[in-house]
Amino acid sequence: MTTVVAAEQLAQRIAEGIQRRPGLRSLFRPLTNWYGGATGHRQLGLRFDDLLEEEREDVAKALTRLPAKEAYDRIYRIRRAVQCSYQQKLLPRDQWTKPEEDVPYLSPLVEQIQAEMAEAKALDTLEVVKKH
Amino acid sequence: MISRTSFPRAAQLALRQPAYPRLPLARGLATSSSSGSYELSDVGGVKVIARDSRGPTTKLAVVAKAGTRYEPLPGLSAGLEAFAFKTTQKRSGLRIVRESELLGGQLASNHTREALMIESSFLRTDLPYYVELLGEVISQTKYTTHEFNEEIREFLSTKQGVAASNPAALALDAAHSVAFHHGLGSPLNLTSSVPTQPYLNESSIAEFAGAAYAKPNITIVADGASQAEVSKWVEQFFKASPVSSSTSLGLNTSPSKYYGGESRVSHTAGNSVVIAFPGSSYGTPSPETAVLAALVGGKSSIKWSSGFSMLSRTVGGLPGLSVSTASVSYSDAGLFTVQLTGSALAVRKAAEETVKALKAVAEGKVSKEDLTKAIAKAKFDVLEASEGRNASMLLAGSSTLHTGKPIEIIDAIKPLESVTADKLKAAAQNLLKGKASVGTVGDLHVLPYAEELGLQV
Repeated sequence: MTTVVAAEQLAQRIAEGIQRRPGLRSLFRPLTNWYGGATGHRQLGLRFDDLLEEEREDVAKALTRLPAKEAYDRIYRIRRAVQCSYQQKLLPRDQWTKPEEDVPYLSPLVEQIQAEMAEAKALDTLEVVKKH
Repeated sequence: MISRTSFPRAAQLALRQPAYPRLPLARGLATSSSSGSYELSDVGGVKVIARDSRGPTTKLAVVAKAGTRYEPLPGLSAGLEAFAFKTTQKRSGLRIVRESELLGGQLASNHTREALMIESSFLRTDLPYYVELLGEVISQTKYTTHEFNEEIREFLSTKQGVAASNPAALALDAAHSVAFHHGLGSPLNLTSSVPTQPYLNESSIAEFAGAAYAKPNITIVADGASQAEVSKWVEQFFKASPVSSSTSLGLNTSPSKYYGGESRVSHTAGNSVVIAFPGSSYGTPSPETAVLAALVGGKSSIKWSSGFSMLSRTVGGLPGLSVSTASVSYSDAGLFTVQLTGSALAVRKAAEETVKALKAVAEGKVSKEDLTKAIAKAKFDVLEASEGRNASMLLAGSSTLHTGKPIEIIDAIKPLESVTADKLKAAAQNLLKGKASVGTVGDLHVLPYAEELGLQV
């Protein structure tokens, strides 16, 4: 578990490093577009954030904070994708998720909750230094 | 005599805490009591009142015109109260609570019919931190959707349940609602039968906050800090609060009008009757009402005795009955209330006796000793309230909000001494001539109608 978290954090830091440098960002843009297409979720009509594991504590909590409309649309996309998967089919090409539709709608909430959890943990394990 | 072991300990304490140079320990017994009056100053459009009792702790509060009489939609005062000390632009709600815990402070919020009080108590030296915190709470709270859904909603529904099973609170609300209809008549306690669903959400609360926390609608009250020091920090930390309300949901500022009437509600949890008449307000104080409340009384001031006020003598022996008589003042209206709570039969008997007592006063059957006693009691009540921290801060803050300056206790005491038997008689006659407001909650089969009691409604 800890190695997974460490790897995630490393990936996060690399991604942020790339985001900060416009030159690097434009260099990596085709690669990310290719990766986004290659994961295959768009062909099933899903968004990238639909792939986040619901069982994770932070994601489960973030899902309760989604606006009703977004939560409904998410369930619709997932059920449609499951149906496609059962039938061993892809969606018709016009129903694929377009790259501009594949926006992070859930991960900002997950990040917010992770920050809250980290803060709670930091406050729980705080050491008080007396000045006098 | 100072024992040998205790003196070095006191000296040690004084040495160990150089941060509090004015601890009462060092000042000896001749401390001036905290009954001094509040000093008023205007800091950049915010009214600040403070008094310094030179104790080791300070209590600081923001009193806002956001009580239930000002709420434009039901439940907003309770919602705003619950949103105090939640996540702001600068820090999370959790951090606020933990930081305050580390400093040993206490945070609280509550509301009355007229005022909303966001308060903090802390060690004297932490004043700047708490002034900053309160400034942040009133101007930078985020009113987030998830906090409303995860915390506030649950908290309010618990509160609604508690209030719904409290007949005494319901009866007082019922009496207020027939007395004033809107404004002061809107229920102080949010009960589960109040439909809040269409009105109460985080965005309506945020809009209400925009109006309620505008600079002209707040007063900052401090007890235990010097006026100069509080003003200095307020100037720095309350810059961000808006000068005038900028939101579409304004305060409901319609003036109060007395109607009177009767309201009866069935309830299984207990019995309570409130008999109320128009009373004294900040603007037009009527000392007779306060003396009448002390005279009719009903609550014992001596342990293991039922007391010696008019009602105590007649109904003091009834088991389980609690009587409280009060003269409640608001900015532009007031109520003289007698609240009777207990078993249905006892409450019925007490209600009859209450009307009899008022009629006896109206006929002038009050002995001289009783009047003297009542005046002394009324004076004591006012003075005691002005010494206590909570009551005095609320009263001073509320009167500053509504009249522009804190109430002078001396001014409130003097008229009480001039009450004579004739004036009292006239006042009681006046009350009985007008319409009463009666709120009845409980076993309606037993509890009497106002008309049966001989009151006009």
